[in-house]
Amino acid sequence: MTSRRAFLPLAFFTVAILVWQTAVVHYGQRATYPYPMGVVDAAVRTIEDGSLVASTSNSLLRVLIGFAIGAACGIPLGVLMGFVRPIGRAVSPIVDSLRSIAPIAWIPMALLWLGIRGNAALFIVTYAAFFPFVLNAAQGARLIDRNLVNAARALGASRALVVRSVVLPSALPAILTGARVSMAFAWGSIIAAELAMGIKVTSGGSGAVGLGQLMVSTLYVRRDVNGLVLYMIVIGIISLCIDLAMRRLQRSLTPWRT
Amino acid sequence: MANATHSAVAPAPAIGVGPTARRLLRGLEVLVALAVVVALWQAASVAVGNSTLLPSPLRVLHAWIDLLHADLREDILASLLHLGLGYALGVAVGLLLAAVSTRFAVLEAIIDPLVELLRPISAIAWIPLAILMFGISAKVPVFLIFYASVFPIFVNTVAGVKQVDPRLVHAAEMLGASSRMILTHVVMPAALPYVLAGARLSLGVAWMAMVAAELTGSDAGLGWRLFWYQEFFAMDKVMAVILTIGVLGYLFDTLLRALQARITRWSPDSAVDETR
Repeated sequence: MTSRRAFLPLAFFTVAILVWQTAVVHYGQRATYPYPMGVVDAAVRTIEDGSLVASTSNSLLRVLIGFAIGAACGIPLGVLMGFVRPIGRAVSPIVDSLRSIAPIAWIPMALLWLGIRGNAALFIVTYAAFFPFVLNAAQGARLIDRNLVNAARALGASRALVVRSVVLPSALPAILTGARVSMAFAWGSIIAAELAMGIKVTSGGSGAVGLGQLMVSTLYVRRDVNGLVLYMIVIGIISLCIDLAMRRLQRSLTPWRT
Repeated sequence: MANATHSAVAPAPAIGVGPTARRLLRGLEVLVALAVVVALWQAASVAVGNSTLLPSPLRVLHAWIDLLHADLREDILASLLHLGLGYALGVAVGLLLAAVSTRFAVLEAIIDPLVELLRPISAIAWIPLAILMFGISAKVPVFLIFYASVFPIFVNTVAGVKQVDPRLVHAAEMLGASSRMILTHVVMPAALPYVLAGARLSLGVAWMAMVAAELTGSDAGLGWRLFWYQEFFAMDKVMAVILTIGVLGYLFDTLLRALQARITRWSPDSAVDETR
């Protein structure tokens, strides 16, 4: 049964890829439609000239920096909102309304404030990464067992100690969930930001070119469909890897949660 | 400080403070917070001293009122059209795929890996290919909204159907219900909270995809308008459009949340985590 379940999709996709390849080659449409071997060619070419690796690592670096800033600002705010109820009630409508603004909508302002050298994209990523941290940290801090806090206080723990050794550990699972959502969201947003920058700012490759800008130049300058499909696959693989890594982190940091 | 003591007894009615008074107090808290934000914004724009770099709240409000009488209505309409078409298509296809794949194991064996392969490729990554396929037009945002909204509704609906308690199905079978009756009276109501949660998640990602697609590959809509005003350096208008995007996104989410709470009043909010 299990072998049949694996066999059927495998056979289906093999046939589909073969049909796709032969159809495109047979009808002589290699310039307008992507096809499997063309994507492989594009992969070999962009890996050899280094553009794929360089731009991917530029994008990933921005995501990591944005993620770190988002965590550094979002976790304290979220814990504060969840732990001190009046603050939570007062701030959460503001957080909710700012959260409703799609991060990418800030791109004109970000370009104005931070310039086209990549910092605008960094702003968008940070904005995207910030809110999942706030929401989940607040949720985690809100659901803390008040008895634990009261017990610690009764035993003479200071407020700072309570936050460090009771509040943060109990909010950790929620914070890690926030981190996973935030990382996924940040990865989507960096591509969007770089695409928008690449399309609107024709700056001839100034600054550190990311995957999004590479896609734009592939689209408008080289008109290489196979390259576009390759970058899409790379984007997909990276978001899978990010998700797997975050899940593993979650398991190793909070092993008591299944 | 009075607030802190009264929140400590939140579940029980607070002594001396009626429900209306409490609601007023909460409204006051929100107002104070909003006032603080506007004041900070105003202070920042005075400190910057450049109305292009950081327009003051009042300027943005003026720009917003101006725009409401002019372009903004068209943009909102165009965006809503994109969203409506793409989202309706996405939800329809997502539900259809979910129905087919929970019904026939053979199709599930094909649809499931296909979805798992495509889902990590975010809608955003499709933008260049969509521009190549459709040209700069309304088709780009519609396609992206469709693509973005298919997956959450599909995944949630499948999860909803799979979690239906088999004992309920067996009980209905034993009492002589036809398979059609089981579908409409047991499976569908039990899966409904999941479907609605999926619909809400779908709308959230669809909204983000819409803004990104209109920014890059459309010739109408709120996202497109952002860069339009940027080219004239009318940053007060850009801010007005950004705020409009935020307000509309917030309204949609609140609307769907209320709808969800109303339709599935019997069920606790059962959203499946959006990344799984």
